[in-house]
This record gives sequence, C-alpha cells and structure tokens, in this order.
Amino acid sequence: MSGSLETVALAGNPNAGKTTLFNALTGANQQVGNYAGVTVERKSGEFFTPHGHKLRLVDLPGCYDFDGDSVDQQIARKVLLGEIEGEPRPDVVVSVVDASNLERHLVLTLQVIETGVPVVVALNMVDMAEKAGLRLDPQKLSEELGVPVVPVQANAGKGIVELKQALRHPFPPVADTPWTHGPEGEIGERRRALVLRMCEVAARRPDGHTSTLSDKLDQWLLDPIFGWIAFVLTMLAIFWAIFSFAELPMGWIEDGQKWLANYVTGAMAEGDLRSLIVDGIIGGVGSVVVFLPQIVLLFLFIGLLESSGYMARAAFLMDGLMGKAGLSGKAFLPLFSSYACAIPGIMATRTIDSAKERLTTMFVAPWMSCSARLPVYLVLVPLLLSSESKLTQALVFFAIYVLGTVTALIVARILRGKLGPEEMPKHFMLELPPYRGPQWSYIFRHVAGRAWSFLYKAGTVIFAISVLLWAAQTYPKSGSDDPAEQLDHSVIGRVGHLTEPAVRPLGLDWRGGTAILTSFAAREVFVSTMTQLYHVEEADTDEETWKRLRTRLSEETWPDGRKMFTIPAVVSLLVFFIYALQCLPTSAVVARESGSWKWAAGQFAFMSVFAWVAAFVAYHIALLFF
Amino acid sequence: MPPEILLQTHLNCRTIAAMAHATAQELETDSLLSLSQAKVGCDFRIKFLNGPACDQLRKLGFCETLQVRKLADGRNLICSVCGTRLALSRELASQVMVAVA
Repeated sequence: MSGSLETVALAGNPNAGKTTLFNALTGANQQVGNYAGVTVERKSGEFFTPHGHKLRLVDLPGCYDFDGDSVDQQIARKVLLGEIEGEPRPDVVVSVVDASNLERHLVLTLQVIETGVPVVVALNMVDMAEKAGLRLDPQKLSEELGVPVVPVQANAGKGIVELKQALRHPFPPVADTPWTHGPEGEIGERRRALVLRMCEVAARRPDGHTSTLSDKLDQWLLDPIFGWIAFVLTMLAIFWAIFSFAELPMGWIEDGQKWLANYVTGAMAEGDLRSLIVDGIIGGVGSVVVFLPQIVLLFLFIGLLESSGYMARAAFLMDGLMGKAGLSGKAFLPLFSSYACAIPGIMATRTIDSAKERLTTMFVAPWMSCSARLPVYLVLVPLLLSSESKLTQALVFFAIYVLGTVTALIVARILRGKLGPEEMPKHFMLELPPYRGPQWSYIFRHVAGRAWSFLYKAGTVIFAISVLLWAAQTYPKSGSDDPAEQLDHSVIGRVGHLTEPAVRPLGLDWRGGTAILTSFAAREVFVSTMTQLYHVEEADTDEETWKRLRTRLSEETWPDGRKMFTIPAVVSLLVFFIYALQCLPTSAVVARESGSWKWAAGQFAFMSVFAWVAAFVAYHIALLFF
Repeated sequence: MPPEILLQTHLNCRTIAAMAHATAQELETDSLLSLSQAKVGCDFRIKFLNGPACDQLRKLGFCETLQVRKLADGRNLICSVCGTRLALSRELASQVMVAVA
C-alpha cells in the first residue's frame, strides 16, 4: 500500500452500514490488520474516483461518540486527529449515517466535523428510511451541516458513484462549527439540540409509529415462550445441518487425499522420503483439512445469524440466563462467537462496558467448544455410539456443547462474585437492528477469511507438527519390521511413556497422552497424531477407513487384555478436550485484551488442571455404569 | 400610587406567577410516568430524563421532546425511538419520564 496516497476515513455509529459501504467502495481490494499496539481491527483498502484518482480508504471502529474512554472511541478520535503512530491523518472523512436514525447518528457527524477535517456525509439506507415514511431532504441537511450529503444504499450499490464524485479534488472545505461556541460543559446539549432542529427540517418523521415487519417478527421471536423455542430449534438445526451438509465435500477431500497418496506412492521409490510425504505430510495434514467443510458451515451460519439481525435478539433472550451467571446479555455474542473460534469471541468482549464482566467473559470463552475441537469430537463420538444416525450424533454433539456452556456459566458466576461489585451500576441496553436479508458478499468474505486462516494453520503449524511427529516416530530406527516395536523404540515412544502416569488415571495409555501433548499446540493435531500412532491403513472407501479406525481403536487392548477404548475412556478424553485450553494464539489474545499475561497464564493453568480433574471424575463415574 | 406600593404589588404578582408556574410543573410531573410504567403499544413523548444514566440514554437517542413507543415489557423492555428498536433494562427505563403523545 502506497504511503503517498491521500486517505479517506470511514466514521460512523455501529449498525450504520459502514462495513457494507467499505466493501462497496473497495470490492475485494482490502487488507485487515490491527492498529499499532492495540487489538482493534484496522481495515484498509483502495479505490478510484470516477476521474481515475486513487484513494486509500480506512475503516474506523464504530462508536456512538468520541467522548467515552473505550478503546474503539479512543482509536477513532486519535485517527481523525492524526495521533496514531504510522497512521496518517485522513485528508477527508466519510461520515456514514443511517438515514432512518439521524437523531442519533448526526451527533457523531458533528463531532467528526469538529476535528477540522473535510467531511462528506453518506446518507445510508435511504430506502429503509423512505419505507418507514421519513421525508428526507439531503439538500437541506447539507446546507444545515455545511458539508456535502450523498444519499446511498450501500447494500445495493446505489449512490456509490455519486459518493466517489463527492470525493474528487478539490476536497470540500472544512465546515464551520458555530455550535462549539459557548460553555464547554454544555457542548453535548448544544449538539443534540442542533441535531433535533436539523431533523425537524431535513428528516421529518410521520406522526405516530408505523408497525414494521421487524416489529411483527419480534412479537414472535422475542416472546418469552415461543422465542425460546425458536432459539433452541435454530441452534439444533444449525448443528444438524453442519453434520449433514458437510458429508459430501468431506468425501471429496478424502478422495483427493487418497489419490495424491497413491500417486506419490506410485511415482517414488520406497524409502524414508516417500514415507515422510505419504504418511507424515499427506496423512497428517489431510486428516485435519478434511474438516474444512464443517468449519466453513459453522462460520456460514454464524455469519447468517449476525447479518440477519437475529444475533441481537438472541442476546436479548439470553440476558435473563446470563444474569444468573453474573453476566449480561451483551456477553452472549462474544460467547456464541467463541463456538466458531475463541479469538474473535474474546475480541468481541470489547462491546461489554463493565471491565469485570469483560474479564469474566474472556476467562470462560474458551469453554465454548470451538471449531478446532470438531475433528476431535468427530473421531471420538462415533466410538460412543452404536447407532450412527445423524440425529443421534447431533444430539450427542449438542450435549457436548451444552456441557461446556453450562460449566462456563457456573464458573463465570463464581468468578464474577470474586471480582466484587461494580463501582457504577451497569445497565443492559442493546440496539435491535431491523431484520435484513443476508448480505452474501460480507458473509462469503468472512467465511473465506476463516477458511483461509484454518488452511494456513494446516499448512504451517500442522504441517510442521506432522513432519516432526513422523520423524519422532521413525527415528531412531529399531531395525525391526514390526511397527509396534519401532514405535516403542522411537523418540515419541520414549517421550510418550513419560506422560503415562498423568493419563493412566484417565483410562489412557502413553499414545493417548502423546496425542494430548501434541494437541496443546493446536487441538486439530490430535486427529493426525492418533492416525499416525495407530497406523490405520487407508481403505478403498471412506466408510471402510473410518470403520477400520474405529475397529482399530475399539480393539486396542492393555497388556493384560482389557479393552483400552472403553466408553469411560472415550468419555474422559472427550471431557478433557471440552475443558482444556489447547490453543496458544487464544492465550496470546487474552493477554493482549486483558492487558495481563498473569490473567492469561492463570487461565491456562486453571483450565488444564480443571480439564484433567473433570476427565478423571468423568472416567470414574462412567466406570460405574459401563 | 406610591412607588414602594407599586413595587410591592409587582413583587407579589411575580411571586404568585412563580408559584403558579411551580404548581403547574408539579402537576405536570405528577401526570408523567416512567417508561417502565408506560403501557405497551402506546406512543409517548419524552419529557425529561431523571437519573444517573441520563448521558447514556441520550447517546442512545432518548432526548426530550422525541416520541417513543413501548413495544414489549419484561425484565428488559423494548421500545422504538427515532425509528430504532432498543432493548433496555427496567432500571434504565424508569429514568425516562414520558407523557402520552
């Protein structure tokens, strides 16, 4: 990105359609990073004006005003004042406002104008405003504000050319700010009075409230009884769909993996290098990549819930339940996002006003079973079930997710009590955006980003671990043709034996311990480690391969002939994976967001010990029944 | 009429007017109700905000003279103000004083 380009900043309230406008202006030409020193996402891109002039676009964090001291507000204000290191002061600001909600959104526009930067107002969602019966007068609004006002409908690409026209040279002059004259303490009141006066002349509302489709839907979806039924059914449907729809693409990936392994086997002479490529790399990385369809589907559904407006309703419904855990409904979104990945979930805690509630939410977020645990569950759950119906699997998975969630809420309640009461009472308030059709471009971009980061992880961390594992299993050579003897003699065999005292009480041997150990870098590695440690040979069909793997695990015995992978042992493994924090990037994000490595280290230690104790208890309880 | 009597009469009139104004204000306040007490499905006009969360409420769009409609009641209630649906706790809603529109 060229540093000499003139910069346009996008400012606006949450739910003003800033992201949609950003995508409409830049298309796929965008970069995502963080502002220096903080974990606030910084999106930038480039676009051309109709005259061919190239401009750089920076998306500021959404906020209602610049007066507060939240991280988002500080970053937005500092960028506009040119106080962020490595971030040039914008040459012009596009203030994005929701046309149907000008009474709220124009307050921020006035504050943007006060920073002394040229401003263009993008009057977004004009279609929604007109449907609601508002009589908009962009010309009048422009005269009142002293800056150009361009009506746009970002989700349909309308008004984008006109907006780009307004950003041509010369940029509009800096507007006067007569409302700033007067006592400093009353400036907020003067801004609000001016906004109300402007709305009276430029955005007149119809008398009386007109009931919208969103109102009608909310009557049902926020109903204390029907709303909950709809919520639970939605969640169940999502889990069922993930396991049903992913089956076909998973088969394709497995077929591709097999074809590649056969091709390499046929093309290369037998030896360590071929074994490394076929068994280590293709087998190890492939066994993780196969779960990509499920991860894509999970993010797709979360994106659909967010962009349709239902996520806010879920937070509203959950407020009562969250209250029992000492949290507010606002903690629901970060926790729900953590089902996909704890990292964005923990970053989403920034929307929580209370610092104590935020810390508590961050602490328990990794207990929402994230997508990285899916591969582990998918290997272990079939071992528990004699029936393989999709519904039974979905119910078991639902129970796994419920167990993690309920534990998280109980621990949150205890922790929140330990942190003490709030200095200032915090109240629940939440904007319920209108229901909208899915914004497919946003969803696909979001899903593609997540899929790519998963593949990147598979191609780097998991690739490296697969190679290391292969080497650790292959060397030193025992000289025997018996694979079991070779494994015992290898580095991994020796290290793995050291873990046995810790995992034996959980009903596992050293191989289970080794798989747990390697999965501390990334949970997904568990599957590839198990595949390599148990040397399951590929069959002609996927079903046969899975059957062999399950057979292999179910037939595995202790030296005294007892079965190893009994139901209690599988349950203890599952419980361990539900509770263990086996993700170093998550710990790094917790440390940055909480501003304390102690908090992150404490969380890691607590969760590891808790996971072991819970697995131990689960194993011994299960022994009573099976 | 001597000037001091005129002045005294004028002051009396001003006092009576001020008292009448205060009484009228009290009566108006008595006729107000908080958003948490308001009836679901009715339109109201915000008269004033009264409580520690005033600034928070103003940022959300609860400003004097604006129209608000209560859409649902409960632990958290839902209302529509400036075309936006907002969910807020009963404690917050009790700080928004409204009168029938």
